[in-house]
Amino acid sequence: MSPLFESALISAMLASTIRGTTPILLAALGEAYVERAGLLNLGIEGMMVAGAFSSFVVALNLNNLLCGFLTAAVVGLALGLLFGFLTITLRANQIVVGLGLTIFAHSMSSFLHRVIFGNQFPILFGAGGTHEIPLVSQIPVLGQALFNQHGLVYLTFLMVPLMHAGMYKTRFGLRIRAVGESPWAADAAGVSVDRIRYRAILLGGLMAGLGGAFLALGDLAFFVPDISMGRGYIAIVVVMLGKWNPLKVCCGALLFGMAMALTSTLQVTGIKISPDFILMTPYLVVIVTLLLFARSTNLPSSLCIPYERGQKGQ
Amino acid sequence: MHNAHLVALKPAVASILAILCSLITSGIILLFIGRNPLVYFSLLFAKGIGTPLGVIESIIRMTPLLIISAGLLSCFSAGLWNIGVEGQFLVGAMLAGWAAPALSASLPYPIYLFATAILGIAGGMAWIFLPAVLKARYDINEIITTLMMSWVAINLTAWLVKGPINDLSSVPAQTPLIPLDHRLPMIPLTRIHVGLIMGIASLLGTHWVIRRTTLGYRFRVISANKQAALRAGMRVPRIIVYSLLISGGFAGLAGVSEVLAIKGLFQAGWNPQYGMTTIPLVFLARLNGWAVIPLAFFFSFLAVGGEFVARDLDVPVFFVHVMEGLTLLFFAASEYFAKRRILK
Repeated sequence: MSPLFESALISAMLASTIRGTTPILLAALGEAYVERAGLLNLGIEGMMVAGAFSSFVVALNLNNLLCGFLTAAVVGLALGLLFGFLTITLRANQIVVGLGLTIFAHSMSSFLHRVIFGNQFPILFGAGGTHEIPLVSQIPVLGQALFNQHGLVYLTFLMVPLMHAGMYKTRFGLRIRAVGESPWAADAAGVSVDRIRYRAILLGGLMAGLGGAFLALGDLAFFVPDISMGRGYIAIVVVMLGKWNPLKVCCGALLFGMAMALTSTLQVTGIKISPDFILMTPYLVVIVTLLLFARSTNLPSSLCIPYERGQKGQ
Repeated sequence: MHNAHLVALKPAVASILAILCSLITSGIILLFIGRNPLVYFSLLFAKGIGTPLGVIESIIRMTPLLIISAGLLSCFSAGLWNIGVEGQFLVGAMLAGWAAPALSASLPYPIYLFATAILGIAGGMAWIFLPAVLKARYDINEIITTLMMSWVAINLTAWLVKGPINDLSSVPAQTPLIPLDHRLPMIPLTRIHVGLIMGIASLLGTHWVIRRTTLGYRFRVISANKQAALRAGMRVPRIIVYSLLISGGFAGLAGVSEVLAIKGLFQAGWNPQYGMTTIPLVFLARLNGWAVIPLAFFFSFLAVGGEFVARDLDVPVFFVHVMEGLTLLFFAASEYFAKRRILK
C-alpha cells in the first residue's frame, strides 16, 4: 500500500469513527443523566428511530434541515414525556414501558414511512453537509478527519465536558445524582424527586431524538426502518461501560464508533474479516472490562425502582 | 372491596380496558391515514379468530411465546430481569440448525429430537451463564449484561452462519435444510406441532414449581427480600444462578422448537424478536402462568390477523406492531389503576 493511500485511509477511518460515534454519544449522554436519576430508558431505540423519521419527513417537505432537527427534538421530548408520565407519575414498570415504547415508536415510524412514501426511499439532497473549520482542518491526516464534520458533531463533542460539568459541578447535577442514589433522602431534603426525574427523562428524550435526526440528516440523508440498528441499546451499554460519567461515556461511544468504522474500512482494504465479527468485539471488550473491574460498579442504587413517598420502593 | 370475586376480576377488567383503549387509539391512527377502522378491525377479528385457519396460525405463533414465558416466570419471580432472551433464543436456534442435519442422519428419530433439544437448552443456558455469575457474585445488574450478551449473540450467530458453519451451496447464508420427516411431529389430527404441548407443559410446570416447591419459594423470597433470604440461610448466589439458567434454557428451547418445527434451518440475520413481546407480556400477566396463555394468544392473534389484513386492505404490516406497542403501554398504565382500586 502506498503511504499516500494509507494516510487517506486512516483519515477516512477517523472521520467515519467520529461520525459514527455522534448519534450513539448524543443518546448516551442523555441516558447517563436519565440513569443517574434512577430511570432505565429502554425506549431509546424507539426514540432514535422516531427522531430520525420525523426529522427526515419535515426536512424533506419544508426543505429545511433546521426544521428537521427541531422536529426531532420535539418528538424526542414528547416521547420522553410519555415515558416519564407512565414510569414516574403512574409508577409503571420501566422495562415494560421502555420495550413497549420502542415497539410503538419504531413501528409507527416504519408504518408512516410506508404510508407516506410507499416502497420508495427518497434521498434528501443537501443533507449531510459538513462545515470545515479553517486553519485546523489543514493539519495533515487529522485535520480533515476531525475538523471537517457536520455542525452537530462539533456540538455533540462540545457537550461532553459541559455535561460532565453539569453532572458534577451544578446543583441540578447533584440533585440528579441524589435522586438516583437515595430518593427518600433527596425528598426529605426538599428536592422534588418526580420533578428532577421528569427533567432528566425530557433531556434524555431530547438527546435521543437528536441522535436519531443526526442519523437521517447528518449521516445518511435517507430513512429506512432499520436505520438505528440497535444504536439505542448500544447507548445503554456505553453508559454502563462509562459508569454514568460523561467523559468515560464518550470513550465508550468512541469504541463502538470505531468498530463500526472498521467494518467499512476493512472492506475497502480487502481484508476479509466479517463485519458481524467486528461489530461483536466492542461488546466483548465491555464484558471483559466488567469481569476485570467487576467489583467497582456503582450502579445508581434506585435504578429502575419507582419512588413513592412513604414507601421504600418495590 | 366487599366481594372477593370482584377483587380477583380486577386485573382481568383492567386488561380488557387496556386492550379496548389500544384498539380505540389504533382506530384513530387509521382514521388519520384515511382508512375505515371498523372495516379494519372487523376483518382483523374475522381473519384472526373467525376462521379455523386464523385460529390455528395464531396458536402455532403462540408456541415460542409460551416456551420463553416459562423461563421468564422463573427469573421474574426471583426479581431478576433477563432482557437478553433474544440472544439465548438465537444461540439455541443456531445450534439446532447446525446440529440437526448431522444428528438426524446418525441417531434414531426420538433420540435425535431429544439431543437437539438438550443442545439448544445448553446453548441458551451457556449464554446467560456469565450474566448470572456476575449478578450472583458481584451484584452486577443483569439487565445490562443480558442485553449485551444478546447483541453478542446476534452478531456471533450471523458471523458463524455466514462463515464457519455455512452451507456453501446456498446463496443466502444459512444452515442446511432439515428434511421434512425430521421436523417436530404434529399433534395428531391437527397441523399444530408438538411444540405447543411442550410450551403449555413447561409454562404450567414452571408455574407449579414457583408456587408449590421449595425452589420456587426461595425464588420468591429472594425477590421479596434478599436480606431475609440471606439471614434464613439460603444460598442466594446459587439460587440466582439457577433462576437465570432456567430462563436461558427455556429461551434456547424456544429457538430449537422454531427451527425444528417452522423454519427448518437457521438463517443469518433472522431474528423474530420474540423477547420484545414476551418480556412485557409475562410481567403484565403478573407472573401467573395461566394468565400468560390468553395474553400470548392475543398477541399472536394480532400478529397473524394483522398480516392477513395487511394484504387485503393495503394497511402496512407495521401497523400490527403499532397496536402491539400501544397495547403494552396501555397495559403498563392499567397496572396503576388496577392496584389503586384494590387498595381502596
